[in-house]
Amino acid sequence: MEYIGEHLLPGQLGHLLVILSFVAALLSTVAYTSATVRRSMHDYGGWLNIGRFSFVLHGMATFGIIGSLFFILVSKYYEYHYAWANVSDDLPFKYTFSAFWKEQQGSFLLWSFWHIVLGAILIWRAGRFEAPVLATFALAETFIASMLLGLYFGDSRFGASPFDLLRDTMQAPIFQQADYLTRVKGNGLNPLLQNYWMTIHPPTLFLGFASTLVPFAYAIAGLWLRDHKGWLKPALPWALFSGAILGTGILMGGAWAYEALSFGGYWAWDPVENTSLVPWITLVAGIHAHLIARHTGYSVRGAYSMYLLTFLLVLYSTYLTRSGILGDTSAHAFTEMGLGLQLILFIAAFSLLGFGLWFVRYKEVPGMKDDEPASTREFWMLIGSMVLFFSAVLITGATSLPVWNKIVQSFNPEYVGAALKDPVEHHNRYQLWIAVFIGLLSGVAQFLRYSERNWKMYQRTFVRHMVIAVLGAAALTALNGLWLHATGFQYWVLLFAGMFTAVSNADYLFSVLKGNAKIGASAVSHFGFGVLVLGILYTGLNKEFISSNSFAMEGLIEGADDDALNRNVLLLKDAPMPMRMGYRATYLSDTILRQTRTFSVRFEKLDSLGNASGEVFDLYPNAMYDRQFSSIVATNPSTKHYWNRDIFTHVTSLPKAELDREYAKKQEDSLRYEPYEAAVGDTIFTKKQYVVVKAFVKNPTHHDYTAQPGDLAFGALLEAHSLDNPKVFTAKPMMYLRPGQGAFTLPDQVNQLQLKFRLSEAAMEKIFRTEEALQYEDISMKAGNTYTFKGHTIHFEQVEQDIKHPGYTAEEGDIAVTARLRVTAPGGQTGSAAPVYLLRGNRPFSLKDEIPELGLHFRFEKIDPQLGVLTISAALSTAEQRRIPVEIAEDAARADYIVLEAILFPGINLVWIGSIMMLIGLALGVWKRVEGLRS
Amino acid sequence: MKKSHLLAIVIVAVGIGILITASKDVTTYATFSQAAESGDRVKLVGQLVKEQPVEYNPEKDPNLLAFYLRDDAGEVRRVVLHAGKPQDFERSEQIVLTGAMKGETFEAHDMLLKCPSKYEQQEIYVKERS
Repeated sequence: MEYIGEHLLPGQLGHLLVILSFVAALLSTVAYTSATVRRSMHDYGGWLNIGRFSFVLHGMATFGIIGSLFFILVSKYYEYHYAWANVSDDLPFKYTFSAFWKEQQGSFLLWSFWHIVLGAILIWRAGRFEAPVLATFALAETFIASMLLGLYFGDSRFGASPFDLLRDTMQAPIFQQADYLTRVKGNGLNPLLQNYWMTIHPPTLFLGFASTLVPFAYAIAGLWLRDHKGWLKPALPWALFSGAILGTGILMGGAWAYEALSFGGYWAWDPVENTSLVPWITLVAGIHAHLIARHTGYSVRGAYSMYLLTFLLVLYSTYLTRSGILGDTSAHAFTEMGLGLQLILFIAAFSLLGFGLWFVRYKEVPGMKDDEPASTREFWMLIGSMVLFFSAVLITGATSLPVWNKIVQSFNPEYVGAALKDPVEHHNRYQLWIAVFIGLLSGVAQFLRYSERNWKMYQRTFVRHMVIAVLGAAALTALNGLWLHATGFQYWVLLFAGMFTAVSNADYLFSVLKGNAKIGASAVSHFGFGVLVLGILYTGLNKEFISSNSFAMEGLIEGADDDALNRNVLLLKDAPMPMRMGYRATYLSDTILRQTRTFSVRFEKLDSLGNASGEVFDLYPNAMYDRQFSSIVATNPSTKHYWNRDIFTHVTSLPKAELDREYAKKQEDSLRYEPYEAAVGDTIFTKKQYVVVKAFVKNPTHHDYTAQPGDLAFGALLEAHSLDNPKVFTAKPMMYLRPGQGAFTLPDQVNQLQLKFRLSEAAMEKIFRTEEALQYEDISMKAGNTYTFKGHTIHFEQVEQDIKHPGYTAEEGDIAVTARLRVTAPGGQTGSAAPVYLLRGNRPFSLKDEIPELGLHFRFEKIDPQLGVLTISAALSTAEQRRIPVEIAEDAARADYIVLEAILFPGINLVWIGSIMMLIGLALGVWKRVEGLRS
Repeated sequence: MKKSHLLAIVIVAVGIGILITASKDVTTYATFSQAAESGDRVKLVGQLVKEQPVEYNPEKDPNLLAFYLRDDAGEVRRVVLHAGKPQDFERSEQIVLTGAMKGETFEAHDMLLKCPSKYEQQEIYVKERS
């Protein structure tokens, strides 16, 4: 079939570039490998040039793929599955990046992009290491490029192309129409990902992942060229850079989870988080071994193995998050795309390459010195890197349970599989001791010196500083113990270890380095680690769910004795709810903008006597609806930041009727509306309340109603009273007829009294029938005179030009007058009316007015300016005619509440400050080492 | 003895020690009947039974969610979770629970939802011809 309106060119170009990118990467691998092997031969230069050329070609092809895909997304070409699945017409341009790297192919391209950028810098700067380093880069790029190939070999497909057409990937009857594109619209981006974090976090994290390839490639180069020391100097700034960037990426993930997602924390030990943290830990272990090797010439084995492992763990992480294997254990892995086998091949090839070389060269690589005295810095640093490695093993082991299950199940399908009971508790329990060791080791090692040869002399200085650190740490531990809810001894140990390294490193920075931060990379980092430990302890142990009201909820919760479980509180609109820790929350209002419904919740802190302490703030958590407004797809938290604590809130639930339109309709249908008839001024008695009819209006307003020309609308103004509540609640139900569409009724609810009001078509019919049935009588009137009409005294005050008739909107050229009438009924009630006479475009109009409580209707028919006489038509409706049907339902479910979770996070800023200082330390290291390379 | 050997022995010993203690943290995936038999805290995978009611009345208790789950063996049991109801609960394709049987009910401590619709749209939205 010939399809109409498809744009196949960018896809064909893109696909061609995918193949070119793959072939060029493969060629570059071969050429750079040959160049490395033949480095002392005459044709070395030729191979090197082919390697460079093909790597650059690969880079340009990849940028072309990125450009094509981006073009498809920006142009909203829904004939492509990628565009259809990830963007929509109403998606703002700024989220195109998020949509681009949301899926596997886009994130592979992002990863590839950074490899190419880093590879280009290395071609320029790596000198004699260029050939082996770039050979490794090109091989990695060959594997990544293969993920996008999308070529069929028999029935199996190799790679997943981002340029697949929608009609090739989906089966639907719509594709039998040649113009199907006119009827397809994009799915758009999950609102959770329409977030600036999704724009900045993935590029940073992928730069971090990509940069781990540099130390890996240098390690391969060192092993390959048997130059076990030469690679150490140029690789060090790269390793530090990688540590800083990967660390930033991970931290951003934590900040995103905390700030914008409703996880209620910054770290959840989710497998996806763990597998990005583990390579960072081994990288840091590698950096420590690397520093030892740089200063002493030993421990090169440690640096080799940790750098090799780091990139392999990045690949393993890629496998875990992209193969679908984490399905049961992670909340946020990628959708499975059938790339599992290719990813395993990738890992296998690089493991074989890395550790194959490592084993072959093992004997010639300098290991650790055997008789290393414990008085040297390298001795403790090496133990530190082993502890880090150990931490990586523990986290990886527990996170790999799904992989283990799958392996066993492939041999024994009966095997049910194992999983962690409580991952958070498990990891915290073990990593706590890792942190204790790191704290103590880094505090001690900082004051030791590399290859100490003069220990006898130095011993006293060392002991003096250690005494300072121990005393300072003890003092800080005691001080923090005043606020910290540390229940177990292990928390005290951790607190001490954290304070120990903080004091020791601060002391080192000032007493030894004289405050020169530029050479204080490690002191700054380790001080940051101490601060981070403190932050983790405060946020972990002092975190309080304040959204709990044990008194108000008492007896309502079946079987819940553990108050840690009571994390949610129900807030009724305008009803202040006392919560824990002296907070009181009031749900004030909600507003809807596009698809986002934002709630405003006021928090007040009360003192111990229950009086306002003056601390008042509003928070605005929100809920995002899907485009049909039929259900909620995401809720976003809102947080109040103080210097020493945060108050984090998010809406965990809404009335079901607000979540689900189907349900709302069902609920509305199941309400029992009782019909009543009442005239203006009448009182309707329901079972528990009474309702006064204040008015019937012809131009009603309602939050769900937007007036359109031609609408025929009418509404009621009702006042609901409760016998036990002095407050008066108003309700304004309405209904309208829209030409060509039919009649619509818009009920109104008084949530506090659980009353719901509705006007039926009968009401509208009655109003118009009455209008037709009225018998008008003309009365000629003169200003200032009094007339009698069916027992009513009508006093015609005057003619006015100031018109306040609700049905009148002034237009240019109008001549309009109104007659002010005062009426006294036989029973003594009074009222007034002001019907209008209007000349618009030489045509006369009459706008009637009425006094509903008296049943009087007036029309201003004619005016004789010469005589000053005007004609008013008057009619009196019967008592029966005045009564309008109103439907009232009692016990309507309340729809004006939110279920809120509020968490008090003390010391969260310590977590951010500590982590950022660790990263600043790494960045300082990069700076210093890059300067070292130049000199 | 060389220091490196000593260190290796210490690390291996600590590793074995951790493996033994950590084995307590591990549980197996189980069905309702296995969970009832053992009485232990288990992981359980199943699907929401959509024909049965999902009870969540925040007016009464915002921390109580009860529903019926069909485990992989096909057995249906009532599940109680002391937490709020997640947004797309009804649309979940698969539910992973951690908890234990208490009488006839499964008391869950945490819940992980798998909602493919979140990441992958299976339907093609069709817009009205204008």
